[in-house]
Amino acid sequence: MKNKVLMGLAAIAMVAFLSSCGKVPQTEIDATNAAIAAAQAAEANVYVPAEFTALQDSMNAINAAVEVQKSKLFKKFGPIKENLAKTLTLANTVAADAATKKDEVKKEAETLLNDIKAVNEENGKLITKAPRGKEGAAVIEQIKADMVTINTSVADAQALYDKGNYMDALNKIKAAKEKADGINAELKEAIAKVHKGKK
Amino acid sequence: MSLIWKQILIISSAAIFIFLLILFLIIYTPKPPVSDMAYARNALSLAARDKADSYSKKLYKEAKGYYDSALRSWQKENKRFLYFRDYSKVAKLAKLAVKAANQATDNSKFTSSNLKSSLKQKIDALNDLVNNIDEMFTTYPLTAETRNRISKGGMLLKEARIIYQKGHYLEADKKLTESEYLLTTSYENANVNLKNYFKSYPEWKKLAEKTIANSRDSGDYSIIVDKFSRKLIVYLEGTKKYEYSTELGKNWVGHKMVRGDKATPEGMYKITMKFESNKTKYYKALLLDYPNDEDTAKFKAAIEKGILPRSAKIGGLIEIHGNGGKGIDWTEGCIALTDREMDSVFKIVKVGTPVTIVGSMVDLHHVMKR
Repeated sequence: MKNKVLMGLAAIAMVAFLSSCGKVPQTEIDATNAAIAAAQAAEANVYVPAEFTALQDSMNAINAAVEVQKSKLFKKFGPIKENLAKTLTLANTVAADAATKKDEVKKEAETLLNDIKAVNEENGKLITKAPRGKEGAAVIEQIKADMVTINTSVADAQALYDKGNYMDALNKIKAAKEKADGINAELKEAIAKVHKGKK
Repeated sequence: MSLIWKQILIISSAAIFIFLLILFLIIYTPKPPVSDMAYARNALSLAARDKADSYSKKLYKEAKGYYDSALRSWQKENKRFLYFRDYSKVAKLAKLAVKAANQATDNSKFTSSNLKSSLKQKIDALNDLVNNIDEMFTTYPLTAETRNRISKGGMLLKEARIIYQKGHYLEADKKLTESEYLLTTSYENANVNLKNYFKSYPEWKKLAEKTIANSRDSGDYSIIVDKFSRKLIVYLEGTKKYEYSTELGKNWVGHKMVRGDKATPEGMYKITMKFESNKTKYYKALLLDYPNDEDTAKFKAAIEKGILPRSAKIGGLIEIHGNGGKGIDWTEGCIALTDREMDSVFKIVKVGTPVTIVGSMVDLHHVMKR
């Protein structure tokens, strides 16, 4: 009688053990998916695309691993739980990295936006002092047209920046800054030549 | 046999039976295509890393579709009773996913590599075009619209180059296409205008040669104004004696048609009056006989043909005058010199000195080479 009771208890314990190991860790899966969605919302696919792809790969591997376990008679989700925990941490890291990178891009765009406004202002003053030699008039007309284009680009970049599209804003403002710096150098050089000639 | 041995025998037999049953269950359980799915996942991951989602969208989407279907099918099979599961469809879909993903990777590598090199060529070509425009149209009065289009085209080219350097070739391609359109159409329009303008070159050449011959024959001074090079050249006895830089009307290209068009006329004229400083607001001035009979005939013909409205009035008071040196084409159609140069010219010319105004003394080929 005593042995039967012991065997019964052992069987119950085994069933309990097996059933506890065989449950899909849905809560952990949901939490990890939510963290990945949060990383995507933080534009990780834009600012840290390689990290985001690695994160997705990791989750895809977990989804497959879950199915592998579900295919088995005796399911074992312990290692999957561990991987889920790692992936959750990775998702949080990727989201944080994306936010950092986005902030860097934002600051760079902000700096360039401020810089270009100063360069444009200086160019506006320099153009009045620019020499108007034989070819000066048409060159100045072109510079004026370029300055209008730069201002339009700055306005477009500002609009993109205001919408939070910092990467596109940065690309646009970099091109405009390059052009504005070119004009600045051209005007300064032309003015310097005239001053040198007068000496 | 004692009771305890009997019990041991029963328990051992039961254990062996359970063990064999479990072994049987394990061995004969349908096996999911784990490695096929892993290959598919890997292939998709490589395709994504090679940006197949951008450069081989259709194939990548197809591969992803196969993988997702395989996973769904796997999930569906897993819901069935253990021994009724059939993973053959999962394996088939996974293999299709691998095939499509590999194709997507190859296609993406090929497309992005080709695009990269063609974009590089396009960027270089457009940079050359921008330089060409700068060189050719430095002194040519392009319209404000053309200048704006050139400027916008140049800016898009810069943006495209920055995006290209970041490896975003599709986005760079879009910008370059827009830039190419703006730059090439502006260049072509400007070129067509320039070529049309230079159609009068044979006539200008004749006028210039005639003027130099007159100077040689008369042994006196003659003046030729070359509008394109902005030069006023003084000839004595058929030989170039002096050369000065000039400033013209804002719309100097083409013949003066009507009063207020800010164009400088083209043709053979004579000085009719000399104005000292107290007679002109432009320091000193030499009045030309514009419009002459030929100009009046041309003006009337333009009205008859409806090119000009009947209310149009012919211009006049075209002079060579001082107050120049501003560096821009600012006159109403006159030819401006600096006061110092005006003094020099004023001294040597007289009423009746021929003044011939031409578009250019050299042909377009030489202008372009210059």
